[in-house]
Amino acid sequence: MVELDNQKEEPIPSDYNEDSDDSDSTQHSDESDFEDSSADKDGDSSSGSSDSDSDSKSELEDGSPAQDNSGDSEDAESQDEDDVKSEGGSEGSDIHQEGVGGDESDSSEDEVAPRNTIGEVPLKWYEDEPHIGYDIKGKKIKKKEKEDKLGSFLANVDDSKNWRKIYDEYNDEVVELTKDEIKIVRKLMKNQAPHTDFDPYPTYVDWFKWDGAKHPLSNAPEPKRRFIPSKWEAKKVVQYVRAIRNGSITFDKPKEEDDAYLLWEDDSGLTEKANHLAYVPAPKQKLPGHDESYNPPLEYIPTQEEINSYQLMYEEDRPKFIPKRFTSMRSIPAYENAMKESFERCLDLYLCPRVRRKRLNIDPESLKPKLPNKKELKPYPITCYIEYKGHEGAVTSISVEASGQWMASGSSDGTVRVWEVETGRCLRRWEIGEAVNCVTWNPLPDIHILAVSVGQDVLLLNTGLGDEEEQQRIKELLLVDSPKASEETGKKAPSVSWLKDDKHDGIRLRHLKTVTSVEWHRKGDYFSTVMPAGESRSVLIHQLSKKLSQKLPFKLHGLAVRSTFHPSRSIFFICTKKTVRVYDLLKRKLIKTLYTGLKEASSIAVHPGGDNLIVGSKEGKLCWFDMDLSAKPYKTLKCHPKDINNVVFHRSYPLFASCSDDSTAYVFHGMVYSDLNQNPLIVPLEILRGHANSNGRGILDCKFHPRQPWLFTAGADKLIKLYCHY
Amino acid sequence: MGKHYRPAGKKKEGNAAKYVTRTQAIRLLQISLPLFRKLCILKGITPREPKKKFKGNDKTYYHVKDIAFLHHEPLLEMHRAIRVHERKIKKAEAKKNVERANRLREKTPKPKIDRIIRQRYPRFVDALGELDDCLTMVHLFATVPATKEKKIDVDLIHKCRKLAHEWQAFIARTHRLRKTFVSVKGIYYQAEVEGQTITWLTPHALQQVVPDDVDIPTMLNFLQIYQPLLGFVNFHLYHSINLKYPPLLDPELEAEAAEVYGLIRYAQSNNKPTILETSELVESEQLESKQDGPEIQNKKSELRLAQLQHQLPSNEPGALMHLVEKAAGEDGEEYDDETKQCKNLFQNVKIFLSREVPRESLHFVIPAFGGMVSWEGEKAPFAETDQSITHQIVDREAQGHRFLSREYVQPQWVFDCVNARIILPTENYMVGRIPPPHLSPFVDYGEEGSYVPDYAKTIKHLQAAARKEVLPLPGVEKDLEDPQNLLAEGIIDRAAANQAAKEKQKLMILEKQYHEDLKKELQGDTYTSAGSTEVIQTGESLNNGQANIDDVDMAELVMPNKKRKLLKAMEISNQRKQSKNDTIIRRKKKLDEAQNQRS
Repeated sequence: MVELDNQKEEPIPSDYNEDSDDSDSTQHSDESDFEDSSADKDGDSSSGSSDSDSDSKSELEDGSPAQDNSGDSEDAESQDEDDVKSEGGSEGSDIHQEGVGGDESDSSEDEVAPRNTIGEVPLKWYEDEPHIGYDIKGKKIKKKEKEDKLGSFLANVDDSKNWRKIYDEYNDEVVELTKDEIKIVRKLMKNQAPHTDFDPYPTYVDWFKWDGAKHPLSNAPEPKRRFIPSKWEAKKVVQYVRAIRNGSITFDKPKEEDDAYLLWEDDSGLTEKANHLAYVPAPKQKLPGHDESYNPPLEYIPTQEEINSYQLMYEEDRPKFIPKRFTSMRSIPAYENAMKESFERCLDLYLCPRVRRKRLNIDPESLKPKLPNKKELKPYPITCYIEYKGHEGAVTSISVEASGQWMASGSSDGTVRVWEVETGRCLRRWEIGEAVNCVTWNPLPDIHILAVSVGQDVLLLNTGLGDEEEQQRIKELLLVDSPKASEETGKKAPSVSWLKDDKHDGIRLRHLKTVTSVEWHRKGDYFSTVMPAGESRSVLIHQLSKKLSQKLPFKLHGLAVRSTFHPSRSIFFICTKKTVRVYDLLKRKLIKTLYTGLKEASSIAVHPGGDNLIVGSKEGKLCWFDMDLSAKPYKTLKCHPKDINNVVFHRSYPLFASCSDDSTAYVFHGMVYSDLNQNPLIVPLEILRGHANSNGRGILDCKFHPRQPWLFTAGADKLIKLYCHY
Repeated sequence: MGKHYRPAGKKKEGNAAKYVTRTQAIRLLQISLPLFRKLCILKGITPREPKKKFKGNDKTYYHVKDIAFLHHEPLLEMHRAIRVHERKIKKAEAKKNVERANRLREKTPKPKIDRIIRQRYPRFVDALGELDDCLTMVHLFATVPATKEKKIDVDLIHKCRKLAHEWQAFIARTHRLRKTFVSVKGIYYQAEVEGQTITWLTPHALQQVVPDDVDIPTMLNFLQIYQPLLGFVNFHLYHSINLKYPPLLDPELEAEAAEVYGLIRYAQSNNKPTILETSELVESEQLESKQDGPEIQNKKSELRLAQLQHQLPSNEPGALMHLVEKAAGEDGEEYDDETKQCKNLFQNVKIFLSREVPRESLHFVIPAFGGMVSWEGEKAPFAETDQSITHQIVDREAQGHRFLSREYVQPQWVFDCVNARIILPTENYMVGRIPPPHLSPFVDYGEEGSYVPDYAKTIKHLQAAARKEVLPLPGVEKDLEDPQNLLAEGIIDRAAANQAAKEKQKLMILEKQYHEDLKKELQGDTYTSAGSTEVIQTGESLNNGQANIDDVDMAELVMPNKKRKLLKAMEISNQRKQSKNDTIIRRKKKLDEAQNQRS
């Protein structure tokens, strides 16, 4: 250290030496604390520093000589100092630092030649002077011209380095800090060692070599306690042991590894799942086909056009997987949807209700029931045998006479005709003048009366058939006393008035509302009429012999559509839109209600046995009721796409038929067995086509021949056809 | 009064009594929805479909008994305990008591799954029957990257990998593998274990991406049951072939990513604790065994082999494997015919895998079918220079150095051989060629009208030839040699078939026309006679045509609604199938035409 001082002092000119020292000290007191500390710290850092130290740094370490020196000497000096440092190591530097306690850190000093030498006097003294002090040779240092504020501001704004410029009042100059200096400042602000290369935690180097040493550091013998077990520890152990024995210290159980073991040891006895609810195993995933192969046959790869066309499809229809082809296994990429598909499967597994569905792997044909051979069910109407032409409007209704020789038809052109069945000859023709709704023959073979419903009237016409005796009786029957009628009008609310119809030589029953259908009782004396709009009087029963009309003593639920009599007993059926109500006329009570389940029934027919009936509906369904069985249909046949207009049973053959607006008539085999345990057999036999559609209406009525398996159909195309069994 | 008014005190009836909605169930169990889901996954409880959804169609319904089943579940209590425990940990952490937090974390109660597995699958066969999803999931997670943000644990993935390899080793050892299929999605394997057909999918050995729209916690819940399930199944299977479980793996093989091979070798060597007995003892045992029944002999020979394995230098495991195989064949483990067939498929084949082929799957497939396999690596059983190698699997554009004694084929050849159960000719699978199409073994051609690709036909011919042990028909042989010829013949076949079909159609049309003519004639007559209302006698025979047509409709009339709808659905599905088939046939036709034009 002494040596160092000598070296330093040698090149310094003696004149201003003391002076400068003074100034240093004063200056230092002026400087802020932070500079001071920086100096200290820098001194510390010097232990790790080497030759690469910058000039400024060296100055920081010992500023006093540097300040006095000219630039050259200073450089040399700093170098010297560095040398010393490298030699002396850390200890030397420490001492050195102490010696240079009052440092001055001003980097700009070496750059400018004229230095102020006024020392640490208040600058106020020079405020009014033109100079700021004296340089090293005693010359006055002139004050620089002050820039006005605006000018300096503008200069500052333009200058990007402005932020690192500091005005040095003492020397009256602007000092620009270098990058290194700024780094140091920043480090200081963070309370770190200012020098970047400084390592606060150097690895400790043990300079003393222990292993080669002959003698121990201490010559004292090993103490005895090193060879004796510790008493205190023994006590502690005993304490622990006791505690363990007492159970006051418990240990953590060793971690259990959930290893596999033989879980299903004896499962031979088990047959059922333990879960009491029916367990449905998850369905297995679909196995991949050729198209999922990495190298599928070429024909499995869709063309670009096809792929484009997928975009036009609905999203559900769009194929989820588009086959791709890779020519070698190394070119297969990772499947991007692997996780997603697995996740979706997971969702399916725990979020979807599982239902066991039978997968039918059968021929769809085998679903169809095996029908008995149709040939065995013969005879039934097959082919059109005769067409009856003559009507000029749609034939709305037909009726066959009990003997089967005559057939009557009513048409929307306002005529009623009587045809000879076998020849097709038109026997008679009445001009009613209004569209005919319904025609029906009296079921007795000797009473040739025809009931015709026209608008609000029902006409009873004498057809003029049969021998004279019969004619006499008919005429008697059709005789109406007008006063009687007037008598009835005197009563309150006459629902029907029996009038004599002179024009057609019959009776006219005037109703309140439009009559849609007329149905005779089997004995030929009673007949019922239905006026759907008649509300409580919609179904009326008339007695021909007494010329009496009475309304039904039952409340009707729903709109009456048709009515019919039981073929052998005094039971009366009223078909409303949704139900069929069965009444006993003698006991005057409701026997049962049959629920059709249809939207709108349109027609009803009773099996000649009386226990079965069929109902046709406007949605094209045909319901077969077995009245002994249930109030619901035994069978519902959906055969027609359009409204069924009429259904009818054959009187003797096991046949029934339906006709519809789709211009077809279906003929069914409907066998009813006398054995109550055997259900009726229903076999569809034939679809009769031939009628043309006109104005959306097809076949309006169909009737069976009373003795032959023949079917008459009345079409909206003005034709009546007879289908025969050969 | 509401629609479903029930007087107070009256019990619920019908569906309302039998089912509860999910919200009701959660309220009853007093748990959160995620926990409820987790329990459902673990217990295998699925929603049910009540006949009448009394709370609306948008609700999920569970059976009351299912919920009661959950209610009594000890797992529920366990999860409550876990929740309490987690709260403790949280508290300790909040107090910066790290030590306590860590200790508590270690002591977190762990739910035991074995009881649930036993409950869900009372018999081992039940577990095997539902192993498909389990295997697929475990194999998938064996390739998924472990990420912290998705909470996929590294241990979990390692465990999945381990389990998957153990399973594969068992299948390969017992030769239960039946079918393989390399698809775009991964490789499908089908094995038959105890009469159960098990199909699983392994993803290609590439890094999987975990998309954001996948809910990983749900999948992890599934894994929570699948992992122990597969562990138990593996244990049972290993136990059934007298192997210790878990198997010990050669760490070197593991390092070389040849775990499956290592496991198979382990299985074959049949490492028993008695392995360290002296050779003298073995000799005496051998003497004894001569008098003993075949069963004991079987065991003894296995033991002997195991010991031999230990004595032999490790560079000859290939030969040893062969020995094991032979021994197994001699003492005739109870293999059914199919297994025997599978076992002997690659019996005389020695395969070397190049670096670039998917090693993991081939390590599994080739030994499963009785082949010997080696690869480039330190622990490989034999080196590439081995002269006895018959096939080398190569998946590169050109092979530089070639040994004349072996054939260089693409990996697809192995999979195709396995599916066809015969050694296919290698010409088409040579290096540098585009291999023939890889067909799915899961397609059933038995169905009428299904499309059969050309290569499937070729394979069928080859199979027939192999079965009869007669050389393939000259035509077929030629086909194989020249794929273009094959195509040509295919066309000829098709053309002939087409012609026949056309002729048939023509006949049909003629017949139809004839009938129609007859009908027209008949109708015409009626029309002409209509005016004069004439009587027409019609012959019965003429009506038959129409009768036949009507017949079909007639049967449909009598069908109940349910059946009719079913029939309709069937028809629609059949139509869809047919249309799919048709597009394929149309494309094929186009391709053939293009081929013809080129040639």
